[in-house]
Amino acid sequence: MKIPKLLQAVLVLAIVYFGFILVFDIILDHVIPSSLLTMYMFFVVAGVFMVYTANEKSAKELVAPIKALVEDPSKKMIRNVVFVILPLLAGWYTYEKTSLSFEAPVELRTIHPAPPSSMKAYGKRYNVLKLENPFRKFEKTDPKKFKELIAEGAKVYIQNCHFCHGDKLDGKGPYAAGLNPTPANFQDVGTIAQLQESYLFWRIATGGPGLPKEAAPWISSMPIWQDFLSEEEIWQVILFLYDYTGYQPRSFGHE
Amino acid sequence: MKCQDGNRGKFNLLGLVALLAILFYFAPIHFNEENLNFGVSVAESAEPAAEASTDVAASPYGPAPKTTLASYPTIKGINGRVVIWLVAQLHLWFAAFVLAVPIFVFIIEAIGMRTRDRRYDNMAYEFIKVSITAYSLTAILGGLLLFSLVLFYPDLWGYLATIFKDSMFWYAALFFAESACLYLYYYGWHWLQGGDRKWVHLTIGLLLNAVGTMLMFLANSWLTFMMSPEGVNAAGVFAGDIWPAIQNHLWNPINLHRVVANVAFGGSIVGAYAAFKFLSSSRAEDRAHYDWMGYTANFIAISALLPLPFAGYYLTTEIYAFSQQMGITLMGGIFAWLFIIQAVLIGALFLSANYYLWCCMGRSDGAERYYKYIKYIAIVIVGAFLVWFTPHTLVLTNEELKALGGPYHKYVGPFGIMPAKNTAVNLMILATFVSFLFYRRANKIATVSWVKIGNSAQVALFVAGVINIFILGVYYGYFTNTVYKIAASIPQVCTTLAVIVISILIDSFMYKNAKEVAPLKWGRVPERSQYALFLLAVSFTWLMGLMGYIRSGIRQHWHVVDIMRDNSADAFTPTMGFAANVVSIGTIIFLSMVIFVFWLSQISAKKVEPENYWAPEAVDGAVGKGGGG
Amino acid sequence: MKNFLKVAAFSLLVIFSFAGFANLGIPKIEPAPPPTEEKIDLGSMTIEQFVGIGEKIYKGKGTCTLCHNALGGRAPLLEKAATVTAARLKDPRYKGEATDIESYLVESMIKPSAFVVAGFGKKGTNDAVSPMPDVSTGSIGMNEVEIAAVTAYLQELGGVEVTVKVPEDASDSAAEDDEEEQRKPFETVEDILDEVGCGACHKVGEDEGEQGPDLTKIGALRTEAHIRASILDPNAEITKGFKKDLMPKDYGTQLYASELEMLVNYLVALK
Repeated sequence: MKIPKLLQAVLVLAIVYFGFILVFDIILDHVIPSSLLTMYMFFVVAGVFMVYTANEKSAKELVAPIKALVEDPSKKMIRNVVFVILPLLAGWYTYEKTSLSFEAPVELRTIHPAPPSSMKAYGKRYNVLKLENPFRKFEKTDPKKFKELIAEGAKVYIQNCHFCHGDKLDGKGPYAAGLNPTPANFQDVGTIAQLQESYLFWRIATGGPGLPKEAAPWISSMPIWQDFLSEEEIWQVILFLYDYTGYQPRSFGHE
Repeated sequence: MKCQDGNRGKFNLLGLVALLAILFYFAPIHFNEENLNFGVSVAESAEPAAEASTDVAASPYGPAPKTTLASYPTIKGINGRVVIWLVAQLHLWFAAFVLAVPIFVFIIEAIGMRTRDRRYDNMAYEFIKVSITAYSLTAILGGLLLFSLVLFYPDLWGYLATIFKDSMFWYAALFFAESACLYLYYYGWHWLQGGDRKWVHLTIGLLLNAVGTMLMFLANSWLTFMMSPEGVNAAGVFAGDIWPAIQNHLWNPINLHRVVANVAFGGSIVGAYAAFKFLSSSRAEDRAHYDWMGYTANFIAISALLPLPFAGYYLTTEIYAFSQQMGITLMGGIFAWLFIIQAVLIGALFLSANYYLWCCMGRSDGAERYYKYIKYIAIVIVGAFLVWFTPHTLVLTNEELKALGGPYHKYVGPFGIMPAKNTAVNLMILATFVSFLFYRRANKIATVSWVKIGNSAQVALFVAGVINIFILGVYYGYFTNTVYKIAASIPQVCTTLAVIVISILIDSFMYKNAKEVAPLKWGRVPERSQYALFLLAVSFTWLMGLMGYIRSGIRQHWHVVDIMRDNSADAFTPTMGFAANVVSIGTIIFLSMVIFVFWLSQISAKKVEPENYWAPEAVDGAVGKGGGG
Repeated sequence: MKNFLKVAAFSLLVIFSFAGFANLGIPKIEPAPPPTEEKIDLGSMTIEQFVGIGEKIYKGKGTCTLCHNALGGRAPLLEKAATVTAARLKDPRYKGEATDIESYLVESMIKPSAFVVAGFGKKGTNDAVSPMPDVSTGSIGMNEVEIAAVTAYLQELGGVEVTVKVPEDASDSAAEDDEEEQRKPFETVEDILDEVGCGACHKVGEDEGEQGPDLTKIGALRTEAHIRASILDPNAEITKGFKKDLMPKDYGTQLYASELEMLVNYLVALK
C-alpha cells in the first residue's frame, strides 16, 4: 500500500525528531539542547516541505488530504474534531511555554569573550596580541628542558587546578559539581584548542574577576591566579594543558 | 514618440560630450599631480636626510578633532545615530541596486547581440528602465546622508572632508558622468539599434559600468578609511597625500566584496520584480516572459552568491591582518552572535534558491527522471545547513547544563567552529550546483557516445571532491595545529570551484547536440516558486543590512579607528535585537520604495484615453502625431 | 491587488521572522560600553594612562620624533633605549651617574652628552658631545612630571618593567605648569645657541649642523630684517636646497624680545 504523502511527511519529521533524541540522548548520552533541536526541526520542516512541494503532482498529493478535510462534506465529523483539537493544542503549547516554573532562567555566557589588547598582571603591562609563551621555544631547541617544564606545569596543575578542572582536564574535578558555570573542559575541541597561549595567560592570571562585561553574568569562580602563582608557573601550566590534551595552541602567524 | 526620444538622446549625447570634455580636463590635472608627487618622491629618495615624519608634524592639517558630548548636535526626539544608520543603509541598498543592474543589463545586452534573440534586448531594456527611477532615489538618499552627517556628526564630517576633499570633488564629477551615461544608455536604447549603432550603445553601457564602479570604489575608500586609516599619523594629522588614505588596508577587500554582492543583490531584486509581474499577469506570453526574466535574474543572483562566501573570507582575513583586535571583536566577541543570524539568512538563501530550481524543473516533462534525486540533495543541504547554523556557544537550560556537565557538547560542539562550517558551506554550494545541473538536463538527453563515461566521470569528480573537502575539514580542522585551521579553507574552496568548473566543461560537451525530450515551457511554474524569489530578495536585503551593521559596528567607539574617537551619547554598541529591528525597519522602507519604483515603471507604460475630456481637434492632432512617429 | 497584498504579507512575515529570531532566538547580551577616556587628573591616574601621556609628549610637545625617527638618521631610535641601558652603563664612554634604567633615561634627557651613541655626536667632537638639547629647558621646556611620563613611556616601549611612579602631587601637573614658571632670560648668545639648539641643524658657532643653511656668513648674505623674519616665520622663504617645515615656527613665543635682538645682532655680525 502506498503511504499518502502527508503521512509520509509527518512520519519523516517524527523519525528525524525522535532520531535526534535517540541518537544524542540515549546512544551518545549527551542530550541535544532543546533550543538547538527547535531550530534544527524548523529547518528540517522547511526542507521536507520543499521536497514534497518541489513538483506539482507531489504538491497536490500532499495537500489533497488537507483540502479534503476542509472541503469534503462527507468528512464533517473529522473536520469538527480536528478544528477543536488544533486550537486546544496551540493553547496547550502556549501555556507550556509561558507558565511559570521553578527552572532558573537560561543564562548565556560568552565563553570566549574578546580579549583586551593589553592586560595588567604582576605590576606589568602585557600586550595580549603579541604575548608569547617564553617556554614554547624549548619545544624545538631543547626538548629535554621542555619536558621538565611540562612536568613542572603538571605539578602546578595537580596542586592548584585539578580540584575543579579535573585530573583528566575534562572539567570534572571533585568540586566541579558545585560550580555554575562549570569549569572549562580542556579536552573539548572548542576551548584551548581554539585559543592562543596569551589568551590562556590572560584568563588564568586575572581569573573570573578579570572577565570583561561582555562575559556577563559575571559569576565565574576562577581565582585570580597571579596572586598565587608566579608568572613562570602560569606559563608552565599552559604548556602542560596543551601537552596533556594533545592540542596545539592557536597562532596567527604561519611557521 | 520615437522621434522625441531620439531628440532627447541627442541632447544627452551633447551633454555626454561636454562631460567627457570636463572629465578629460580633470584627468590631466590628476595626472600632473601624480607626476608632481613622483617628482617629489625622487627628490626625497635622493636626499635621505629629509624626513617624512616631519612632513606630518609640520603638515598644514591639524590632528583629528577631539570631540566631547557637546560636539554632537541633538534634535529632540530624534536619535541621530539611527537616522544616519537608516539613511546610509537605504542609500547603500539603492546604490547597490543601480550599480548592479547596469552590470547585468550590459551582459544581457551582449548576449542578445550575440544570439540575436530579441527577448534578451527587451529584458535588458526593462531592467534599465527600473533602475532609472532608482537612480534618482539613490542620489536623493545620498544627499540626505550628507545632510544628516553634517547635521549630527559635524566634526567627523569636517575631518573626513579635509582629508578627502579632492576625492569628493572627483566624486561629484563622476556622478555627472554616471548620469549622462545612464540617461544616454536608457533613452538611446531604441535609437541606437542595429549594426554599428548597437555597438555604440553597448560601449555606452560599458562606460556606464566603468564610471559606476569607480564611483563606488571612491565612496568605499571613505568608509574603509574609517576602519583602517592610513595616510595619517597616530594623532590623525593628514600627511597631505590622498592616495594612501584612499588605498588603505581594507579598500580592495571591500571593493571586491561589494561588487560581487551588488550583482547578487541586484539580481535578487529584479527576480522579485519578475516574480511579482508573473503573479499579476494573466496572458500566457506575459507569464512566459516574466518567468524567463525571473529565472535569468535568479541565475545571475545565485552565480554571484556562490563566490560571495569566499570574498567574505578574504575580507575577514584582511581585517585580521590589519588588526587582530578588530578581527576578534568581529568573530569572537559579541558580534559572533550576529553570525548565527547571518547563518540562518544564508541558509534561507540557499534553501530558497534550490527550491526555485526544483520547481523550475517542472517547466519540462523530462524533469521527472530527476525528481527522485531531489530528496537526497535536500538531505545534504539541510544537513550541511544544520552544521552551518550550530552556534559555538550553545543556549542551554540549567537541566541540560547539568546533564552535559558543562557548557560544552562533545558531539555538537565541534560543529560550532570554523572548519565544520567551511566544510558545510562547501557542501551546500556543491549541492546547489547539482540542483542546477539537474535543471539544465531536465529537458534534454545527451546523444554523444560517451554518455556513460561522462556521467561516471562527473559522479567520480563529485565523490572525490566531497571526500577531499571532508578530509581537509576534519583532519586539518581538528587534528592539527590551528595555523592550518584557517588555511584549510582555501584548498576546500579550490576543490569546490574545481569540481564546478570541470563538471560544467564535461556537461557542456556532453550536451552539445543533445536531443530535446520535452520542450521547456516557460511560464509553467507553480506560483509558490515565485515566493522563493521573494524570500531570496527579502533575505538578501535584510542580510545586507545586517552585515553592513557588523562592518560598521566593529569600529566600536571610534569614528576613525584609533584616531578619532566617538564621544557622542550613542558611542556604545547596541544590542543585537535593537540592531535587527533597525535593519528590519530599513528593509521595510527600502522594499516599499522599491515597490513604488516598480509601480512607477508600470504606470509609465499605461495610457488612458479619457472620453469627452479633450476638445475634439486636440485629440485628433495627438493621434495624428502619434501615428506619424 | 490581491497578489500585491499576498506578496506584501509574505515579505513582512519573512522580515518579522528574521527580526523575531534576532530578538528571541539568540541570547540578549548587552555589549560593553566604550571604555572611558584617559583622565588628566594625576591623582587617580593609572600607570597605563601615565604612559599614554608620556607617549603623547614624546610625539607632541617633546618634539622627540623630530630627530628620533626612522627616516632622518639624525638620532638613534629609542625602541630599545630601555633594554640597552645595562650595556650603556658599563660602556667606558659613559660619563653619567645613573644606576638603573629609570635614572639613565631621565639623565639622557637632561644631560644628553652623558652618553652619545656612536655616530650621533656633534660634528668634530668624536661623539663626545650630543647635539640634543636639554629637554627641561629652552623651547621644549618639559617639567619633571612630563620627563617622568616620557621615561615611563620609554620603559614601556622597550618592554621592560615600568618603574616610574605616577607623581602624586597633582599641582605639578603637566597641564597647569606651562606658563607659570618664568624662565630666566639667557645672558649670552652662546647660551641661546646652546639651549635653543640652533646648531643641531645649522652650522653656527661651534656647531656644524647640516639640516639648515650655513649661518657662518649669514650677515653678509641677508639683511637684519630678513634674518629676524626668518627666525619668526621660517617658512616665509626657504633657501634653495633645504626642506620646508623643518624649523620650528614658535621661536617668536619661545624667545624673549631681548634674546631675539641679541641673536639677530649676533647673526648680522657674522660676515
